[in-house]
Amino acid sequence: MGLSGIAYFIARRVLTLVVMLFVISVLIFSLLYLAPGNAVDILLGARPRTPETVKLLTEQYHLDEPFLAQYWIWLKGALHFDFGESIQTTLPVAHQIKERLPTSLLLAAYAFVLEMSFGLLFGILAARKRRTGVDRGIVAISVVGVSTPAFVSGVLMLFAFAVQLRWFPAFGAGEGFMDEVWHLTLPAISLAIVGTAYIVKHTRAAVISVLDQDYVTFARARGLSSVSVMLGYILRNSLISVLGLSAMILSFLVVGAVIVETTFSISGIGQLLVQAATSQDLPMIQGVGILVAAIVMIANLAADLAYLAFDPRIRLRSAK
Amino acid sequence: MTDLVATQGQARRRRLGSKLDFSRWLSWACFAFLGLVVVLALFGPLIAPRDPYAQDLALGLVKPSSEHWLGTDDLGRDVFSRVIAGTRTAVVGPVVIALGSMAIGNVLGVLAGYRGGRLDSTIMRWADLMFSLPSMLVIVVVAGTFGGGYWLSVGLLIALTAPFDARIIRGATIEQAPRPYVEAAKSVGLSDTRIMAMHVWPNVSPIAVANTCLVFASSLVSLAGLSFLGLGVSAGTPDWGLMVSEGRSLLFTNPVAVLAPATMIVLTATAMNLAGDWVYDRLSAQGAIR
Amino acid sequence: MSQPLSTQSGAIRGTSGGLNVQKLRIERVGPHGAHTIVSEISLKVEPGETVGIVGESGSGKSMTAKAITGLLPPAFVASGQAIYNGRDLLALREREWQSVRGREIGLVMQNPFTMLNPVVRCGKIIEQSLRRDVRKRMNRRERRSEAIRRLAEVGIDDESVVDRYPFQLSGGMRQRVGIAAALAREPQILIADEPSTALDVTTQREILALIKSLQVARGMGLILITHDLRIAFSMCDQVNVLYAGSLVEAGPAADLEAEPLHPYTHGLLLSEPPADRRVAELVAIPGSVPTPDSVAGSCTFAPRCGWVRPECTSGTPPLRIVGDGRMSGCVRIEEIRPELAAHRARAGGTAVPTGSPGRVNTLITVNDVRKIFQSGGRDVAALRSVSIHVGEGEGVGLVGESGSGKSTLGRIIAGLERLSSGSIEIAGIDASDRSKLSRKDQRSLRSSVQMIFQDPYSSLNPMRTIGSTLQETISAHDPSAKNVERLVAELLLSVGLDPEHAQRKPAALSGGQHQRVAIARALAVKPRVLICDEPVAALDVSVQAQILNLFSSLRDERGIGYLFITHDLSIVRQVVERAYVMCRGSIVESGPVDDVLGSPKDPYTVRLLESVPRSSDDWLNLGRS
Repeated sequence: MGLSGIAYFIARRVLTLVVMLFVISVLIFSLLYLAPGNAVDILLGARPRTPETVKLLTEQYHLDEPFLAQYWIWLKGALHFDFGESIQTTLPVAHQIKERLPTSLLLAAYAFVLEMSFGLLFGILAARKRRTGVDRGIVAISVVGVSTPAFVSGVLMLFAFAVQLRWFPAFGAGEGFMDEVWHLTLPAISLAIVGTAYIVKHTRAAVISVLDQDYVTFARARGLSSVSVMLGYILRNSLISVLGLSAMILSFLVVGAVIVETTFSISGIGQLLVQAATSQDLPMIQGVGILVAAIVMIANLAADLAYLAFDPRIRLRSAK
Repeated sequence: MTDLVATQGQARRRRLGSKLDFSRWLSWACFAFLGLVVVLALFGPLIAPRDPYAQDLALGLVKPSSEHWLGTDDLGRDVFSRVIAGTRTAVVGPVVIALGSMAIGNVLGVLAGYRGGRLDSTIMRWADLMFSLPSMLVIVVVAGTFGGGYWLSVGLLIALTAPFDARIIRGATIEQAPRPYVEAAKSVGLSDTRIMAMHVWPNVSPIAVANTCLVFASSLVSLAGLSFLGLGVSAGTPDWGLMVSEGRSLLFTNPVAVLAPATMIVLTATAMNLAGDWVYDRLSAQGAIR
Repeated sequence: MSQPLSTQSGAIRGTSGGLNVQKLRIERVGPHGAHTIVSEISLKVEPGETVGIVGESGSGKSMTAKAITGLLPPAFVASGQAIYNGRDLLALREREWQSVRGREIGLVMQNPFTMLNPVVRCGKIIEQSLRRDVRKRMNRRERRSEAIRRLAEVGIDDESVVDRYPFQLSGGMRQRVGIAAALAREPQILIADEPSTALDVTTQREILALIKSLQVARGMGLILITHDLRIAFSMCDQVNVLYAGSLVEAGPAADLEAEPLHPYTHGLLLSEPPADRRVAELVAIPGSVPTPDSVAGSCTFAPRCGWVRPECTSGTPPLRIVGDGRMSGCVRIEEIRPELAAHRARAGGTAVPTGSPGRVNTLITVNDVRKIFQSGGRDVAALRSVSIHVGEGEGVGLVGESGSGKSTLGRIIAGLERLSSGSIEIAGIDASDRSKLSRKDQRSLRSSVQMIFQDPYSSLNPMRTIGSTLQETISAHDPSAKNVERLVAELLLSVGLDPEHAQRKPAALSGGQHQRVAIARALAVKPRVLICDEPVAALDVSVQAQILNLFSSLRDERGIGYLFITHDLSIVRQVVERAYVMCRGSIVESGPVDDVLGSPKDPYTVRLLESVPRSSDDWLNLGRS
């Protein structure tokens, strides 16, 4: 019963994902028609409006076809990573995304590692030292952390560490992997602050509630060592509830990346999106928008599956 | 042996005592600061020593002095006055968002949690969709398409936050709905509307009020972020987020021009987050949540 | 302590002494100072001996267990001494405790549903609990078969249990796994904290019998913590009675049962309804259990005692020797001893006949009702063709264990749940589908049937005052009602509460008072039948009797009928004339209560009856037949 149940669960989740992506793609495609002004004028951007350019665009974007047919053509293109050409640069959107995506992913992964390690570390520490100065200090810092947007921490860190102290490079991408990581350190820290603060807060609450559980008391009553109670009981059960936060954390990463890349002038897709948004470069907005939405949703699905693997209660109950 | 235990007890007692004083002090400080922010938002123009819009290109950028307490920016505008004037922009939007989304979220959440059925699943599917889309992404995409603006962002943030609130309120409602006091109210013949409004909601309200504070803090940060990106208020408006963005290039000459609005953002959001926690502790101690 | 298993069992046990707790005091330290939880209690356990700690909620009995095992929650501080093997346990540090817990003193906790780590398989739980040196010697296969052996020892013969998670097992099975885990390091003293309270009555006896047999087989000392005197008498050699944090009486179980030497123990024994006969009126102890601090410097029981004199409140009376092995905290015990005995003879001596059902008009008719729940995509039948009827002013019992469908049936009659098929008629109205009825019919149904719920604490809205809850109900029932405040006062008086309570919020009331208010609310719509779903199960024994007496006086005064849903046969015996016994969604037996309980026909009823705790030790032995 177990395996087929899990397969059913996954199949259902994947199906939901496809449906949601479909809805989002419709919404994103119709932006072209919802935007103020005529589709041709939007796609023209700053280029001169002549009968030739209008005809060219109409053909290229199939603007004379009915809406649904246009959507279908656009969707087929999007599935092959063809989102048209940027109005600003007239380069293919997909090409620019491909160039910038690795930097953004590296930044996000870097920040994620920082969030998870420091968030869990301080969250557990605060819970273990409950009601002491250490706990109070960590909680206070994490409240400030949650309230510090990435652009504020980014600007402050740039000023302090790159400009005044010159510990880190202020600009540039770096040569080679290690150097690139080095260049991304400040941005990653600033991106990770809000997420770390959230994880600290929730880990602390989760560990405290697990500490109060009967099963922890019973484990101690049986003489299990502190280490095995900590690892097998407290950590494992609180990790499950922290894992439930993953959608939130992911959302912070995406939002933060948009801001951090602008703050630190990193050529990632977040910066690309902001540039496109400020200049109404619609094909670019559509391309980056649907891509980021897809990445977020797939990552969420992965988190849900991890949840399933971690918590037998969900796994075995959903299998019924 | 007994003495040892006793002194341990005393030490613990002292620790708990000092914790109490500290948290009381903290909540006072936090409400005092929020009071100041409200006063600045209401009477900012009367308090500000100079016109926040007045440029003085001849003066240009200067460091803090007795004349300009926080110095000026590159256009010679008084930073202190601009920070004060920015309070209103910073507070109005989040207040509208917090109240708006909570109003929608409370009504939908209590309805969904109490009634269940199709209404419930519709609201929850909507929340799922919003949950999987980072709100800033949606706002940047929409703002890029429609040209951005403060009130557009406010409207979008209401629409994007409301499902989160509805979900939280729904969860709390579902916890209350099967309790005997609700069933007893049903069986003595009270109407559903009355049960929802007079019995369920009061018991959910600590969560609702606390969440309103958190929504305020997060939308303050989001709006400032959008202004920072150039997708929020129009250029030139005194706004904390925009000031941080504009002041970036001035870090060498007058870092205060960045530090002042940045500090205000962080302090206001922190105070509001703390206030949310405080309200939750207070109201739930009254016995609403067990 | 690294001897191999085999040599450990015999030699060491005989020589080592027991646990000696002296002047144990537990306090909770909070921002507003320290609160006493337990004040200076002393007790001893020898190997092979069973010592009971009996007390109601708030007596501090569970905290005593936690203090002896060094597991007090943060902010709780224990002082005094607990001498074991020449060491004072209370002075141990956490690291030192690890060698004591599990291998010297084991603990079984109350709630099997929360006691086991939900994400660890049962076999692994047992393996983890084995001593490190034992575990290290074994390979994977050996550890697994050791876990299987340990589970077999506690009566689980199904080997597949080692691969299952706790949430896949029933409560009784989980408690067995818990016991196996607690015994995995061969403790010499086992503390069992209400080990059977969260379980069904039939399972309860099996678990207690298991603990008893393991204790005898291993020669362990056993400390049994319970709220039920009958269980303590059947299991224990020595019984200590704890009240509001103080020991009020201690002595050999048999002597204590024959003649309690403290007014509290005396009252507790009498408020326990007997299962074999009906008594004229249950002897209830007035009031509710106070906090230890509020009765400091006086006899803790003085505020509720019928024999109180000024000397009782002039100082904390010490526990003193009052007979052969008997200790009592009552300063007047020699004086009032004959009086207590006479009182007992009067209250328990005569059984009154159950009122004969006679001919009454039928008020509720339930005909062939079925209820099917959807659970995880499967249909689960909660009720399979149930038919019952309740007459005007009649007391009817609905008896069964959890999962029997008894609560579902009650909720369907009260209109809180819909039936899947069948029909219900209440006072001449077809109540099978309430949503189809006219407003007038719905109203008249409400004033026919009202419900009282099990959990008194959540049956009142915590945010509203008692008065506003009652006022609202009165106005909803009769919008034209005048003088609502006077009606509220009358309602409160009729359930034995001071009208002043109208100003208070539920948090300021005790559990018994909550239940009284809930009854008052039901009375506000002037119902003809009250459906009571385990109305006293969450209350302390001393308070239970008060509420049961209230029910019977309301019946005498107002002619209200009852549908009494309960798992407790002794309660059924006291309050109803007719009873239905339910098992797995069906009614297996019905009839006048004296017949059903006196000469049960259905094997399930027989089993239920055998499970009712009795003081005699043959109660436990029956479990193995």
